[in-house]
Amino acid sequence: MANENKSVWTSISFWRRSAGWVTGFATILLIWLTFDTLGQIRMGTDEELKEAVAQQKEINRVPAPTVINYHINYKMDEKRGHEVPVIGKKELFFGKEWNPQEAAELLHLGKLTSQAKNCMNCHTLLGNGAYYAPDLTKAWLDKAWQKGGPLQAMTGKNTVEEAMAEFLQHPSQYPTHARMMPDLGITADEAKGLVAFLKHMSSIDTNGFPRNFSKTVEQFKTGGTNAH
Amino acid sequence: MLFEQFTDVVPSFFGWLNQGPMTLTLFLHTLIILPMIWIYYDEKKKLEGKK
Repeated sequence: MANENKSVWTSISFWRRSAGWVTGFATILLIWLTFDTLGQIRMGTDEELKEAVAQQKEINRVPAPTVINYHINYKMDEKRGHEVPVIGKKELFFGKEWNPQEAAELLHLGKLTSQAKNCMNCHTLLGNGAYYAPDLTKAWLDKAWQKGGPLQAMTGKNTVEEAMAEFLQHPSQYPTHARMMPDLGITADEAKGLVAFLKHMSSIDTNGFPRNFSKTVEQFKTGGTNAH
Repeated sequence: MLFEQFTDVVPSFFGWLNQGPMTLTLFLHTLIILPMIWIYYDEKKKLEGKK
């Protein structure tokens, strides 16, 4: 034939083999990444948490549910270039210390409630959800909920957990910002669970997400959002 | 800097690879493109062989 095709670019087998290689490589890469992520997001045990607190260093990215028995703070890590949660001394949560089973059950109730009430419809949790309402990933560390903060003062309670639980049960009674939270019929037990869920979430090392979370309160006060 | 000291909490191959903004992208593209170059020349050889 005079017009014989000799170009590799128009050869079907070249594209077939290339597509096979790229698809195969991507498949293996995704499976590898899945297992790599599983190791990263594994929840730690109570023993690992005690060890981490005693040695003042982080072992797991996601601590055990019993982390609700500890004071959680954050600090700017210059080396990593972002804020990291710090698990400090023991503190009572709703007036008691929770054993591993109780803590796990409370956290589970909180997670189920957050799903049933569809928090993500407005809020963001660990990067998932909406930016209509404040990002809740580090809500526990929000200065406005601490002693002397405007949100705690507004509920008339003396601890962060009681103030948050009170607000969650009657959100539409409290003026927060322009986008007020509606009453979702959250019960007292569910509110406790949700607060435990939020406290645990704040202790997760999220590689600095949301960026500069200590500043988000001021941002919302001035009418801004996290959407940037 | 392309390579910086690993500061992540949980050690991971991908975490190490992703310390800079371009490192992961460059690595994965290199890994995908290099075999395609080999496939190209292999196919070229086959086509020329048929002639």
